Amino acid sequence: MKDLKHLIYFEDLLQNQDNELIKQAQADGQICVGYTCYHMPEVLLNVGKCFSTRLRAPNTGSIDIATYYMSNYTCEFARSVLERAIEGGYQYLDVLAEVDACSAMNRCAEHIEVLNCNTKPDFFCTHLDVPYKVEDYSVEHMAIQVRLRLLDEFKNVYGVDVSDDAIRAAVKEHNELCDVITELSELRKLENAPITGYEFAICTLVSYVCPTALILPYLKETLEEVKARELDPKPWYRARVAIVGSEIDDPELIKLIEECGAFIVADRYCYGSNPGRERIELNDEEDLVYQICRHYMQTSQCARYMSEEKIQQRRDVADQLAREFGADGIIYEQMKFCDFWAFERPLASHILNDEYGWPVLSIDRPYRARSSGQLRTRFQAFVEALEIKRIQSRKEASA
Amino acid sequence: MSNNTPKYPNPKFFKAKDQMVWADQKKNLKEVGSIALDMFKHTDWNDVKEARIADAEAFKERLTQECKDVLAMSWAERKDLVLNGEKHLGKLYRNGQMAMVRREWRGIESTAIDFYEWARLWGMMLTTFGNDLIPAMNQLFHYRWMVSYFNAHAFADKLILGLRGNALKMHHELIFAIFRFVTENLLFLAKGDTKNGNSVELSKQTVLLDEMTMGQIMAGFPDLLGIPYQLLPVFLVSEVDQLVCEPYIDAVEAYGLPSDTCPVPTSECGAVVLDALPHLGACFISSSMPCDGSVMASEYTSRRFKDLPTFHLTFPVRYEDESVMNQAVLEVKNCIKFIEERTGAKWSWESYFTCMDRFNQETDYELQKWEVNQTDTPQLIGPAYELFRKWNYEMDGGIDPRVMKTFEKVNTLMMQAVPAHYYANFSNWLANCWGINVLVEMEGLNFTKHLNTSDPEEALRDMARLYERMVMRRHTNGGYQHVVDELWRQVDIWRPEIVIMYQHVSCKNMSTLQGLFDDQAREHGVRLIWIEHDLMDPRTVSRKDMRARVNNYMYTVMQEEPIDPSLVEFDDETTM
Repeated sequence: MKDLKHLIYFEDLLQNQDNELIKQAQADGQICVGYTCYHMPEVLLNVGKCFSTRLRAPNTGSIDIATYYMSNYTCEFARSVLERAIEGGYQYLDVLAEVDACSAMNRCAEHIEVLNCNTKPDFFCTHLDVPYKVEDYSVEHMAIQVRLRLLDEFKNVYGVDVSDDAIRAAVKEHNELCDVITELSELRKLENAPITGYEFAICTLVSYVCPTALILPYLKETLEEVKARELDPKPWYRARVAIVGSEIDDPELIKLIEECGAFIVADRYCYGSNPGRERIELNDEEDLVYQICRHYMQTSQCARYMSEEKIQQRRDVADQLAREFGADGIIYEQMKFCDFWAFERPLASHILNDEYGWPVLSIDRPYRARSSGQLRTRFQAFVEALEIKRIQSRKEASA
Repeated sequence: MSNNTPKYPNPKFFKAKDQMVWADQKKNLKEVGSIALDMFKHTDWNDVKEARIADAEAFKERLTQECKDVLAMSWAERKDLVLNGEKHLGKLYRNGQMAMVRREWRGIESTAIDFYEWARLWGMMLTTFGNDLIPAMNQLFHYRWMVSYFNAHAFADKLILGLRGNALKMHHELIFAIFRFVTENLLFLAKGDTKNGNSVELSKQTVLLDEMTMGQIMAGFPDLLGIPYQLLPVFLVSEVDQLVCEPYIDAVEAYGLPSDTCPVPTSECGAVVLDALPHLGACFISSSMPCDGSVMASEYTSRRFKDLPTFHLTFPVRYEDESVMNQAVLEVKNCIKFIEERTGAKWSWESYFTCMDRFNQETDYELQKWEVNQTDTPQLIGPAYELFRKWNYEMDGGIDPRVMKTFEKVNTLMMQAVPAHYYANFSNWLANCWGINVLVEMEGLNFTKHLNTSDPEEALRDMARLYERMVMRRHTNGGYQHVVDELWRQVDIWRPEIVIMYQHVSCKNMSTLQGLFDDQAREHGVRLIWIEHDLMDPRTVSRKDMRARVNNYMYTVMQEEPIDPSLVEFDDETTM
């Protein structure tokens, strides 16, 4: 297949957190809100003149200073973000919107404040207290937090329009973006798909990192291009794989897996399409913020949700995605030193294998995994195992 | 305070009828017997013989040395030895031994006190187990952790090592109260366990509380038994026997868990994997506290005990923010409702208020201890006090009326203001080896506000505030200020010369702050000794490694010499 027209441009946008579209939006007088966690309702960060950018630390090298502050056995993602902040890499932010979900990201945000990593006069960091389970009263709690710690602050500090009309407009634009990503995603179900897992990951990532209004036209054009794309005579991959687990903001990891012959057909991780790119349907009866909070809480796949139905949901969604997208196996991954996923991954990996019947590769990985020879070997071995399994099942079927 | 003081524990818990399945016990005994037989067969008896000979030689050598030491003493030193006891405690340890080589000589009076308390402890334990001896003893054949509890006296000895006079009496009182709680609950676990006593009657009245979940909520259910579920099979026993959790950690790591997680939930999950938790209870109160690892451990428990209805008691993290209070109160209300539905019991405000009145009074006693310890002559310090404070705050919570007597006795002794002399576990080792008195452990500095005992709505809010400030959570959740700024505030109050930074290597909440502590300690002019430790796995950081950090600091930075050189270096890798 020919390269996508905007692929290199998208890759460039991901090289620096402070990319040209963000600069353009800020030059137009918009307020840039950084966030990392899915518990923070992204769509509400795009209300009025605000726009969201999901924080990454691309091209991270040494994280020594962050390690001095946060020790060497804590999440590398959190440390990389802190290192980037200390280097001044998030100076462009107007707001840092964080949640008190995991200790590592919470401390990372606290360090950004305490170490005065952003010196803009009106810059502020806000922390939301987020619940551990989805009940009516916990959704209400979340809605209160969002109003108090986020929308009221937007209004008070930057005079942002946080009216219902503004929220509905943000949701409308968000849904438009989700539709494009979903349509791209659906194409991965095809046997000879017109898009690779890497390309899809790039498209999804730019949709998180860049201002929605500015990236949307490029993504729409890309969707049309993919739909009309001239295909290779036969599929390039050796196995179809779904990847689930903790956050992946590094498309190089997807590339590494695909270089080993596995087509990433489905994704269920933070910074991916599920959760995050589902339409938000609003009714006219309930409070808008309440509805939006409920949407994020219900769709969240975070291991922090400890109630039984959420635990079951995580397993069922992984299974359902893998089936719908015709996966041969599942890669269950986890960022090293993440407590939530450290406990979730082994148990869920066993269950997906034992009870759902999926071949599962269970890995923990560093933040930057591209150069990991160990991981490459494990991916290669997994692909071979899936191939052997397929050959054997064909033999059994023909016998 | 109300005079309504129900008998504790409720006698019906002891009397609950067992329904032991004897065929299963026979099968289990057969399995245990076959393991013992295998061990017997595979034992190298020459090794055993050599080890015994080595023991005998070491004994002879030690005895000879001790006789020589006494002979080398002046008459005044001998008199001091007889009256005040020995001073070089390092010789009580021997490399490779699980127990110390002998009991400590404390001088005539203190040794007599110690033996009396030793006998009282045995009496209490035997009497308690005697209520239902068969399941209590049978627990030994089901769970390896129960074997470790048979070293409880060795553990007590460790906590009081080096203590004399009133200090010894105070520590024994505190230890007795904790041991009584543990012994009674061990018996209840044995009785209710489907694998063991199988008392359906008791099980129906039992509410299991997740790791570190405070017990105060059970104060409103006087007819129910609340058991801190993993505390006895995992957490507390790891204090008794430093090696006991290793098989659990290994099991769950072999299952796939990375080795960087906190060993507390790790061990609990390992215990689930190895089926080392008793199976009982009408319901389970799981909890999001105190940290991310604890949140996840409940997933393993609910996976193992699918028939156990679970309520996830989750409190807001940003607990100083009053906007989160409504959510916290609703959690408490829903938890009470859940317990009522699952057990048929009814919440009693009268019982709750009675217990919380008592808890408030106990808090006053605690504050009195702090006040005394903030003076230039601190009186009650050391591991038994630290343990008692945490146990009373978390597990007892004013429910057991007998604990009030412990407070009264201890505080009376404390006010007699005798110069204190300490040694035992780490904090006592610090005192005896280097003369470093540990004034306070920050985990003990929790919520001291009097809980409301008249208005139900305000009482629920207070209970939520209390739970949000549980041990390990008060300082680690809700923002760095609760531990960093709080430390400097406490330093101003207690005026220590050194702050020992207990760095639990897998605690993400604390390790994510180490740089800020260092930065700000320099600004405040506070000396920090960072001591890494692993709460439950001595293979990660041994006790000897921990002591070495202090030794190095004291020699190189403080330019000091030890008070008891025999304690600077000794081997206790396998000692309980």
